Amino acid sequence: MKKKFCSVRGVLAICLFFAVIFASLATYYKVVHWGFGLKPHTGTDVWTVDAHISFMPNGEPIEVSLSTPRLGEEYKILSEDVVAKGYEVERNEKNRRIVMKSKPRKEKQNLYYRIMIYDNEDILGKVRDHAAPKVKKPEFDSEQQKGMVDNVWTLVDKDEEEGSTASKIIRLLNAEVPAPEVDAFLPVKKNQQIMADKIIYLLAYRDIAARVVRGVKISEKKRAAPADLMLEVYENGKWMMYNIVTGAVGLPKNFVVFQRGGVSLLDVSGGYHSQVRFSVIQSAVSSFKMAGRRAKYENSGIYDFTIYDLPTLEQNTLKWLMIFPLGILLVVILRNVIGIPTMGTFTPMLVALSLVRTGFLPGLICFSLIIAFGLLIRTLLTRLNLLLVPRISAVVIFVILIMQILTILGYHYDFKIAASAVFFPIIITAWIIERASITWEEEGGRLATKQIINTSLVAILTYCVISSDYIRHIMFAFNEWNLVILIIVMQLGTYTGYRVVELKRFAPLIKEK
Amino acid sequence: MWEYFKIFSTPEKLRAAGVLGMNARNYYIIGKHNKRSLYPLVDDKVKTKTLADSIDINTPHKIGVIEHQYEVENLLNIVAGHSEFVIKPAHGSQGKGVLVIKHFENNVFTTASNKQLGFNEVYQHVSNILSGLYSLGGQYDTALIEELVHFSDVFQNFSYQGIPDVRVIVYKGYPIMAMMRLATKESDGRANLHQGAVGVGLDLRTGCANNAVSHNMPIAVHPDTGADLMTLKVPMWKEHLMIGAQAYEMTGLGYLGADIVLDKFRGPMMLELNARPGLAIQIANGKGLKEAIKNVDKHCPKNLSAEQRVDYVLNNAK
Ligand SMILES: Nc1ncnc2c1ncn2[C@@H]1O[C@H](COP(=O)(O)OP(=O)(O)O)[C@@H](O)[C@H]1O
Ligand SMILES: [Mg+2]
Repeated sequence: MKKKFCSVRGVLAICLFFAVIFASLATYYKVVHWGFGLKPHTGTDVWTVDAHISFMPNGEPIEVSLSTPRLGEEYKILSEDVVAKGYEVERNEKNRRIVMKSKPRKEKQNLYYRIMIYDNEDILGKVRDHAAPKVKKPEFDSEQQKGMVDNVWTLVDKDEEEGSTASKIIRLLNAEVPAPEVDAFLPVKKNQQIMADKIIYLLAYRDIAARVVRGVKISEKKRAAPADLMLEVYENGKWMMYNIVTGAVGLPKNFVVFQRGGVSLLDVSGGYHSQVRFSVIQSAVSSFKMAGRRAKYENSGIYDFTIYDLPTLEQNTLKWLMIFPLGILLVVILRNVIGIPTMGTFTPMLVALSLVRTGFLPGLICFSLIIAFGLLIRTLLTRLNLLLVPRISAVVIFVILIMQILTILGYHYDFKIAASAVFFPIIITAWIIERASITWEEEGGRLATKQIINTSLVAILTYCVISSDYIRHIMFAFNEWNLVILIIVMQLGTYTGYRVVELKRFAPLIKEK
Repeated sequence: MWEYFKIFSTPEKLRAAGVLGMNARNYYIIGKHNKRSLYPLVDDKVKTKTLADSIDINTPHKIGVIEHQYEVENLLNIVAGHSEFVIKPAHGSQGKGVLVIKHFENNVFTTASNKQLGFNEVYQHVSNILSGLYSLGGQYDTALIEELVHFSDVFQNFSYQGIPDVRVIVYKGYPIMAMMRLATKESDGRANLHQGAVGVGLDLRTGCANNAVSHNMPIAVHPDTGADLMTLKVPMWKEHLMIGAQAYEMTGLGYLGADIVLDKFRGPMMLELNARPGLAIQIANGKGLKEAIKNVDKHCPKNLSAEQRVDYVLNNAK
């Protein structure tokens, strides 16, 4: 006999083991591949970056080639889109360029390349590149030219302040009052591109590889701005990014790289006056929505069959449902392991669910008010000697009326507590009132009060568990854990140990011995 | 604070004392030995009574049954010729909805607590029973009208107002533990321990008191009457046990509780059976049920008749 029970437990234990493994793997998958957060509200920032290419055709066949961000590196791409009507669009994966071709055209051309990206903060500004790049040593036309470079380097070498060589150079070249040597080295007309070229030139002289990086600094409200420039210097096997003006190291948080090194950002043949302008729109997208996009982009079909692909309304409903199993587990524990008697098995859980909607204190006060009024009315009904069904029905209607009055009062006097009345399940409330009043009549007020208090306490406890945003998020985002809960509940179905309250109840049996 | 925790025992100690817990009872005992399909036999008092009559177990005679609302009008016809009777819900529990009419004359119903009720009030009560007010889960119920038990005077000093009854726990047909429940002022004439009634553990061989508790705590005298509880002895003890043992054959339930009252004229009578008898009996007896259960499983012979089993218990019970 005992063996059979053991085997039931054994089977359940094995199930539990596999369920935990399955749930862990699923959670891992969701976190890594779908980007689900372990914390609630990780609405990831998503940017839509629009590269707007414009040029005037010159009557020849058109070929536009734009350098595009690398996929899956600093930024993860959610979607990619080209708006170029009548153009033949090609992707050149190797060089990360997008090529758009067309027969000759007349009017001004506007092409759009649009990506939705979110940042992958972990690897910002640290691009590994093991193959050490070749550095082309500058060649000097004259000794004078070489002398200028040497002069600047002398200054750099003298600089004792902190920082890498590259940052020293940037500091030197950007000094407010430049040293005469620097003045001699730099042209009179300066812009970012020139500064970058000069720095690269200086570094190359000492065999340090460096390159220009073009991209977009994504910040809200960026409209039709030119590409931003950064400098990348090869240090210790890594490309380190520098701000050309400030010398700050590392990729700024909001920078998307479109192009690196000598290749151009945009090539247009068959046109002139070409330019590329960037616009950035930021939007916070829930991790679920984003996961869907991402899964689609990565061509993973599973996602279509998960709850996260459903419309928001259905998702919200499911969010509610997903918290139920945990509440049920709690009820099972409180009843079968602790042994707290409540009015009705799941009544406390339903009350707790209402409390989540109403907010804790207002809900609790309101609920107590309804119960108190209800009990009062129920006592009056007793005198009328009504039959059971009509009497309970009357209580239900009274409860509705009380709720109505409370809601109206709450609205007019801006009294939030009362306004939450509508959220309590009417039938359950009426039923609690009925049971309590019968207990009151038959077994006295003490027991009735005790039962109500027990029920409320369990409801409050359940509330604490299910109202936690964190727990709710976990149960929804990682709903596979509900399987684990199911098996734990079944395991508890074989729990034959003493309930906690029995430790007290049967204590007198021990003392006598 | 620490003092508070002292009122808790530990699972080890309870296990050592052989205390049967609620979960273990439900899982190992009831879950194993009581088939669900047999429950209606004991949950429905009308069915129990019919069954008991068929094998000559003593119960209060049935006067009538009211199943439908329209029949309530017939109440007066049904009870015509009876001056005392009891109306109770067929699916009731814990004494809920039991209306004891100790005198009925000229359409005036006098209850056990000397309240005078008119027809309307009794009508109301029966309606409440039918609509399921007193039954578990609130499903529609039937009202059973049966003869009043004339309680033996033997226990007069031991009970405050209400009626003492004997509860026998029967496992696989063997009575394994017994107690008597005595009403107190606090329990309002009712014999439910959790409402403050006194529980008296009974020796299985003799029917003599061996222990008494009130509110789970040992006591020596009845809180209201002051009677020395240890002098309590249930007469016709073997007949009491016989009812319990026969109930096993009658219902097929491997684990049951039989509530037995002693009638002045007709002797012990089965009032009701219970397929999930409570565990308070352990406290009343000051010992756990597990040992007795193990004993039945291991040592008690199978295939004995009810009488043989009772004899076995009378001779071998510890
Ligand atoms: N026929 C009867 N005569 C006298 N009292 C009765 C009778 N039936 C029930 N009672 C009283 O009502 C109580 C509860 O009755 P019982 O049949 O055990 O129903 P329940 O299932 O509700 O416990 C008994 O303990 C007894 O005091
Ligand atoms: Mg009873």
